[in-house]
Amino acid sequence: MDTSHLAEHAGTAGTLFASIFVVATTTMRTMIPLRVFGILANIVLMVTAIPSHNYLVMLVQVVMLVVNSYRLHQMLQLVRDVKKSVNSDLSMEWLKPFMTERNCAAGEVLFYKDEKAEDMLYIVSGRFRLVESGIELPVGAIVGELGMLSPSNMRTQTLECIEAGLILSVSYSKVEELYVQNPAFGFYFLRLASARLFQNIDTLERRLAHQVAQSAEPKPA
Amino acid sequence: MIGSAPVSDDGVLSSLRYLFADLIGEDDDTPPFLPEGLPEAVAPVASDAIHMLIDYQSTAYAQLYVDRLKRFVGRRGVDDAMLGEIARLMAMRMSYQDPIRIAQLKLAQADGTAGGAPLPPIGDVGRFRLDELIGALPAIVAEPVLDTLEWLGWLHKPVSISFRAASRLGIGRLKLEASLRRWRRYSVRYTQERVWVERWLHMIDRSLTKQPKAAPEIVQTATMIQGYGDPYRQGLADWHAIIDGLAKPTFDGVLALSDLAAAITEAGATAMPDPRQAALKRKIAEIRARVPAGANAAE
Repeated sequence: MDTSHLAEHAGTAGTLFASIFVVATTTMRTMIPLRVFGILANIVLMVTAIPSHNYLVMLVQVVMLVVNSYRLHQMLQLVRDVKKSVNSDLSMEWLKPFMTERNCAAGEVLFYKDEKAEDMLYIVSGRFRLVESGIELPVGAIVGELGMLSPSNMRTQTLECIEAGLILSVSYSKVEELYVQNPAFGFYFLRLASARLFQNIDTLERRLAHQVAQSAEPKPA
Repeated sequence: MIGSAPVSDDGVLSSLRYLFADLIGEDDDTPPFLPEGLPEAVAPVASDAIHMLIDYQSTAYAQLYVDRLKRFVGRRGVDDAMLGEIARLMAMRMSYQDPIRIAQLKLAQADGTAGGAPLPPIGDVGRFRLDELIGALPAIVAEPVLDTLEWLGWLHKPVSISFRAASRLGIGRLKLEASLRRWRRYSVRYTQERVWVERWLHMIDRSLTKQPKAAPEIVQTATMIQGYGDPYRQGLADWHAIIDGLAKPTFDGVLALSDLAAAITEAGATAMPDPRQAALKRKIAEIRARVPAGANAAE
């Protein structure tokens, strides 16, 4: 029995079916549904190419499937990590995969006070000091996470490297990109930034209360 | 008055313009306003600087100038004269002379479009260093070229470029060079100049906090850096030597210089066109040695 016409019909039906997914993919507004529909379209197009032995199409779709799956995994992991961070230690470690490494020499200034902030930094090693306040930042500290959300976008202090080390940096535009692409990430990022801001206010209030208490204590004659 | 109604922001054309903003330049033809509270005496200097920087680069660049100037408006210890000098010298340093700027100035000279403003004298031939020339290109292009030149040992080779506007071919070439200003923001040189201006402003800021009397002298150190090529490199190296040797240690509290302004003037007077900076380094060491040993916090 000649089955070639069946393969031809299956191919046509598959192509039609795949086209629906391709069109649906283009209508997606955000990154996660776009990747999911992209993966579905890749699978359908791959299956469709089997009866006609179109190996080039199969190869292209396999490559696209791998890329789409990896990006989807990255995006889901990001949302999960930010969500976890909001509910635990308010850490910004989840940003690490999106950051680039930079070596700093002693004496190098990473940014100056009042300069327009354009990136956030994560201290991996070395010693870094805020020049105006003289505060030394510990390894693991994140610098400039709130600057992205502040209307003025200005650095409030100067950061100087006092002992050679490594920092990771990510531009605000990259974080904005993640924010726009992924509403779930955006929502949890805002919650995280607000929580860190409230944490800072709480620390300041406690410090102020401590100072007031100290000044109210009777001084020895 | 500076400023006008904003351009409509809807439509396909504006979306396309936004998409290709990096290539065709930003749609930012609304000039920035002068900083609020700017003294009358400083307004003409700042206004001229804004127009000059729009011509030099863009309105966004002029906005950066305004934002930087704002830091010192109404600041304690900054009088009108000092603010005027900051405004003037910052405009001068923000309009640094790269091959693109020289092409712009030669075209303005040739067209007579300088608007009555005096233009700095520009020769027909500019003598640059190879790294200076390549540094004016976008970093993505310039960095691998600079690495290769360094490997070959040609980084500091002098290069002469003609900026003659005598023929149509010459004018066409100048226009081509001037059009590179769109990509100036992405250049290696732009990053270096941005860091320099921020460091200079940071030193003024620290001086106002730590030793206000020295602030006018710190402001004037910007005049050490002029032009392009070897004089520019020399001025830059001398400036860093003075700031690193005298100003920064004083602000950090490791050098107890009671009269930083006088020390800077004294050191600046010994700056010579000498790449080894022998006289300047000797003078800085001498000034440092004059400070009583017990007075230095680090000792």
